Amino acid sequence: MKLNIDGLLVYFPYDYIYPEQYSYMLELKRTLDAKGHGVLEMPSGTGKTISLLSLIVAYQKAFPLEVTKLIYCSRTVPEIEKVVEELRKLMEFYCKQTGESNNFLALALSSRKNLCIHPEVSSLRFGKEVDGKCHSLTASYIRAQRHSDPNLPSCRFYEEFDSVGRQVPLPAGIYNLDDLKDFGRRKGWCPYYLARYSILHANIVVYSYHYLLDPKIADLVSKELAKKSVVVFDEAHNIDNVCIDSMSVNITRRTLDRCQNNVDTLQNTISKIKETDAAKLKEEYRRLVEGLKEANVARETDVYLANPVLPDEILREAVPGTIRTAEHFVGFLRRFMEYLKSRLRVHHVVQESTPQFLKDIFEKVCIDRKPLRFCAERLQSLLRTLEIADIADFSAVTLIANFATLVSTYSQGFTIIIEPFEDRTPTIANPVLHFSCMDPSIAIKPVFQRFQSVVITSGTLSPLDIYPRILDFRPVTMASFTMTLARTCLCPLIVGRGNDQVALSSKFETREDFAVIRNYGNLLLEMSAIVPDGIVAFFTSYIYMENIVASWYEQGILENIQRNKLIFIETPDAAETSMALEKYQEACENGRGAILLSVARGKVSEGIDFVHHFGRAVIMFGVPYVYTQSRILKARLEYLRDHFQIRENDFLTFDAMRHAAQCVGRAIRGKTDYGLMIFADKRYARADKRGKLPRWIQEHISDGSLNLTVDEAIQLSKHFLRQMAQPFRQEDQLGLSLLTLEQLESEEMLQKIAKIAHQT
Amino acid sequence: MASLSEEVLLVVKKVRQRKQDGTLYLMAERIAWGPEGKDRFTVSHLYADIRCQKISPDGKAKIQLQLILHTGESTTFHFSNESSALKDRDAAKELLQQLLPKFKKKANKELEEKNRMLQEDPVLFQLYKDLVVSQVISADEFWANRLGDINNSDSTPYNNKQDVGISGAFLADIRPQTDGCNGLRYNLTADIIESIFRTYPAVKQKYGENVPHNLTEKEFWTRFFQSHYFHRDRINTGTQDIFSECAKQDEKGLKSMVVQGVKNPLVDLLSLEDKTLDEGYGASATTPSTSSANRTVKESSNAAIIKRFNHHSAMVLAAGSRKGETPTDQASETSSTDGNSRDSDLFQPPVKKVRLQEAIEYEDLQRENRLKTVALNLKKSDRYAHGPVPLQSQHYTTSQDIINSVNYIRHEMVNYKPNLTQVLSSTAASSAITALSPGGVLMMTGTQQAINQMVPTEVQGELKHLYAAAGELLRHFWSCFPVNSPFLEEKVMKMKTNLERFQMTKLCPFQEKIQRQYLSTNLTGHLEEMLQTAYSKFHIWQTRRMLRKT
Repeated sequence: MKLNIDGLLVYFPYDYIYPEQYSYMLELKRTLDAKGHGVLEMPSGTGKTISLLSLIVAYQKAFPLEVTKLIYCSRTVPEIEKVVEELRKLMEFYCKQTGESNNFLALALSSRKNLCIHPEVSSLRFGKEVDGKCHSLTASYIRAQRHSDPNLPSCRFYEEFDSVGRQVPLPAGIYNLDDLKDFGRRKGWCPYYLARYSILHANIVVYSYHYLLDPKIADLVSKELAKKSVVVFDEAHNIDNVCIDSMSVNITRRTLDRCQNNVDTLQNTISKIKETDAAKLKEEYRRLVEGLKEANVARETDVYLANPVLPDEILREAVPGTIRTAEHFVGFLRRFMEYLKSRLRVHHVVQESTPQFLKDIFEKVCIDRKPLRFCAERLQSLLRTLEIADIADFSAVTLIANFATLVSTYSQGFTIIIEPFEDRTPTIANPVLHFSCMDPSIAIKPVFQRFQSVVITSGTLSPLDIYPRILDFRPVTMASFTMTLARTCLCPLIVGRGNDQVALSSKFETREDFAVIRNYGNLLLEMSAIVPDGIVAFFTSYIYMENIVASWYEQGILENIQRNKLIFIETPDAAETSMALEKYQEACENGRGAILLSVARGKVSEGIDFVHHFGRAVIMFGVPYVYTQSRILKARLEYLRDHFQIRENDFLTFDAMRHAAQCVGRAIRGKTDYGLMIFADKRYARADKRGKLPRWIQEHISDGSLNLTVDEAIQLSKHFLRQMAQPFRQEDQLGLSLLTLEQLESEEMLQKIAKIAHQT
Repeated sequence: MASLSEEVLLVVKKVRQRKQDGTLYLMAERIAWGPEGKDRFTVSHLYADIRCQKISPDGKAKIQLQLILHTGESTTFHFSNESSALKDRDAAKELLQQLLPKFKKKANKELEEKNRMLQEDPVLFQLYKDLVVSQVISADEFWANRLGDINNSDSTPYNNKQDVGISGAFLADIRPQTDGCNGLRYNLTADIIESIFRTYPAVKQKYGENVPHNLTEKEFWTRFFQSHYFHRDRINTGTQDIFSECAKQDEKGLKSMVVQGVKNPLVDLLSLEDKTLDEGYGASATTPSTSSANRTVKESSNAAIIKRFNHHSAMVLAAGSRKGETPTDQASETSSTDGNSRDSDLFQPPVKKVRLQEAIEYEDLQRENRLKTVALNLKKSDRYAHGPVPLQSQHYTTSQDIINSVNYIRHEMVNYKPNLTQVLSSTAASSAITALSPGGVLMMTGTQQAINQMVPTEVQGELKHLYAAAGELLRHFWSCFPVNSPFLEEKVMKMKTNLERFQMTKLCPFQEKIQRQYLSTNLTGHLEEMLQTAYSKFHIWQTRRMLRKT
């Protein structure tokens, strides 16, 4: 179908279109036209990705000088692959319609673990191991050594790529991860480095958030991406946490012990080199005097160029004299480490700001702010000089150095909390130093500043206005789209009472209450009897789930549930949970039916979709508030209040509701899908909670379903399920929630569509 | 003795039955008892006839064994040998325990089958009542025909009967009952035991190893109920427990399942994340420490519950689909345990591709690819349902064919010349028309409707049953022809008498009843006609036979 979006010819690879897709494209076009940033919320399963791709690709084709590149960031590997597949579909459609061959280069980039084709390296299981092994084969000085000693192991794929791969750009086409591997195998080139090299001239890059947001990686991979790019963050409802995670550091006693070993190794290596090759150290010293800004340092294979957001001007300065010689630097590190050790020997909780910390460190061990800032850089330089192959071993000292640089660079937005023990186990000493970032805008700021359009989109971004505030940017468009439905295929119910009128709530005071737990159990039991196939239930936290499961077991509720469905439960172990998930799907598939008990904020709630019969009902037990007693959270709330004027409660509720919405949204993945959404907590009925749910869920909550008992909910659900089980055909949707081109172009429909977007 | 050739498995002396001393024999196919000094059995039961055995509780003065038959009768044996009564009884019990199930299946299956047929088919049940209960024909005769039919016609579905899955809650179904004195009693049925064995092969193995050499069955199950299998929150600590090994095995199984990983890449949580943060980074990196040292007992028992629920569900699921899937499972296992990543790469993409394609599919956005079919739009659906049906299935004609044939017919019609010499005579035509007009011979439906209204419903019902019964008998009767074996001859004679008996006991009273109610006797006319036809056929056959014989 060829669309006219505000004067732009857009090829859309389907015969029909949802009205909200059209509306979404209009908004997106406006964002691109204004060269500004946008926040767009559209329900999952309404074809967000294909709308985004269709419009942006059309825009790129129409204005090749305005938008040179699309950087599409998604969260998980399967998501990334899905995006590329959709793109492939779009491009095939283009070729068919225009008859021209495709001249677009689009590719996915992922970590080495997903792209490596070296037989030994790729058989390793963990990403870290793969990275380490790869590095030990391909680092620049290792390859330099090989000139003198050809017996050293090498990676033939990398060598091959290095010698010829760069001369000819990757031919146009759509490359998913597997395609890259195939291509790499055919040519004998390393797909990972090929991809990393090719993203510079690719039209579309699809990769994970970290490649842009984590300064340690972004600096390496995404530094040279063109400014005239459009950046899309899909599934961005959690983007602030990703930002914060990438900037926070935790130091335990174990880290320091390992760091100690690292430093000892450094010391030994230095003294050894001094005996054999003193010139090397001298050469390094000379370089450091000249300054850090050496282009050749950025040799791409040297992974440890990890530099947490150093402003460019610092890089132009020379490394201060105190840490310029290798021995001095190691001594410096030792001092810093000893200082940290002494700080960890506390008996009470300490919280301080970064300036306080710097002052203290200056008074105690006479470490200045300036050398601290260069710590990370200096360490990288040293590691390079010493030609240490396996940097994975040096992660501890790298962590400390990064911490030193961060703590001395940012005086705001961070806090230092030293806890001598965990709250739950006050008798066991386990001191931790949390250096925690409280301002997500720090990590994302370079992205907003650098690229001309950044689009943040997800199925659940409500309330929309909070994201620009916490990420500190000014969007030109903010819109929330509803889902046009020919039949109401979602049924949100708020169950506030048990059959015995006990108020249901997971709030702290009542969470141990047996009456509440029993009523929750009854809810699940009765649901298990009426809902076909799969039910997913989410709890507010893992500990809460453990307790409830245990008492359900004692009360015999689980046994009764087992009569209806099999039970699978998420565990902290990802591998075990994956297996449980697969079995769960199998049980749904073969008709036995199953229940998955899971945790909000857990991996399942974030990355797994429960389409169609895999999730006919989602039950949210309680409101998934974050653990509010944590000091880090308290500090962050305080910061939000002081700097962004967001009240604690508003933020907590917002955070809880976005996770609740994520959980229940997992079940509806399209208009032909249907599912129950049961909010089992009376607090959901309150306007402040309800109002923070996405509009497409909110508008289906009727006043009558705000405070139901379990029985009433069952009655409503039965009715709903019976209705939904009727055949649903394309004709039923046509003209309402599904449009042909002619229908789309009718005046009446265009007016209707204008109402879909809800501007804020 | 009746059949010495039978293999005698066990002989127990000094067994009393009805206050008479005697000897109990357990043979290959039956159990028998003969009084002392006599040369024959006064009691003999085929194992297939025995429904169950019961024993007197321990500690009772009399040591007895009771056999309950399917017919409801029971026989009690009293073991009276003072020194070894208990041992004798247990030996007999154990042997019976092994033997009975073998025969039970055979006997039960037939009974069950009959029962099921009667329950499912109310007409058959009525027939059964009419014919067997009122003793027109015997039950054997009734079934002889039916069961044969079934066994012949759909033997295939019955032979490889569908595997029944396992209820997820089979452990919950074992409801413990307190026995009054600080103890619990669990009732186990064969089904539950089978479920346990199928779900937990480790237990089955243990059972095979320990019972009956080391433990009696009872002890085994007692221990089972004490073990963690039953109490999922119990963390097994005792090393003497025979099930602790099972637990380890389970753990190992679980682990191997986990290590094997999942086939569907979309649910693999391990490879979900593209780039995990390095250790030490991240705001919430310090997860609540899970090191076993500082976990309380309660926490670890909670964790155990969760783990075991997952395991249990997985096992139940596997037990349900074990048979069909083993070959494919193995195939995938071999290819994935090769360890060679390249191999697994080659193996993986198809699954992954398919899953990805599925995930990005918007079926409602696409035009349906199926051939456009025209929906059937019926104005009068009953006319569609009862209308004339084509005799044989035909090839559907394309519209072009239809147009062609219409043209052809039109062409024919243009050239049509009536062939007046070969038309029906006017009398024949008019009689046909009368026959087909309302009230005519071929249009008797009008009067039948009158019967519907004239005759009270209960009489109608009765008539229906009579028809069914008569039909059944007649079916039996006619199925004997052509009579070409002595067996059939005998049967045909019998059926004739059956028919006569039916007429006497069923039809005649009904006729009288109708007469009493002043209804037209015409109602049974057809029935009688049918019977008469059968009789005349029988007479013809009989006279022919006489002729042949003479």
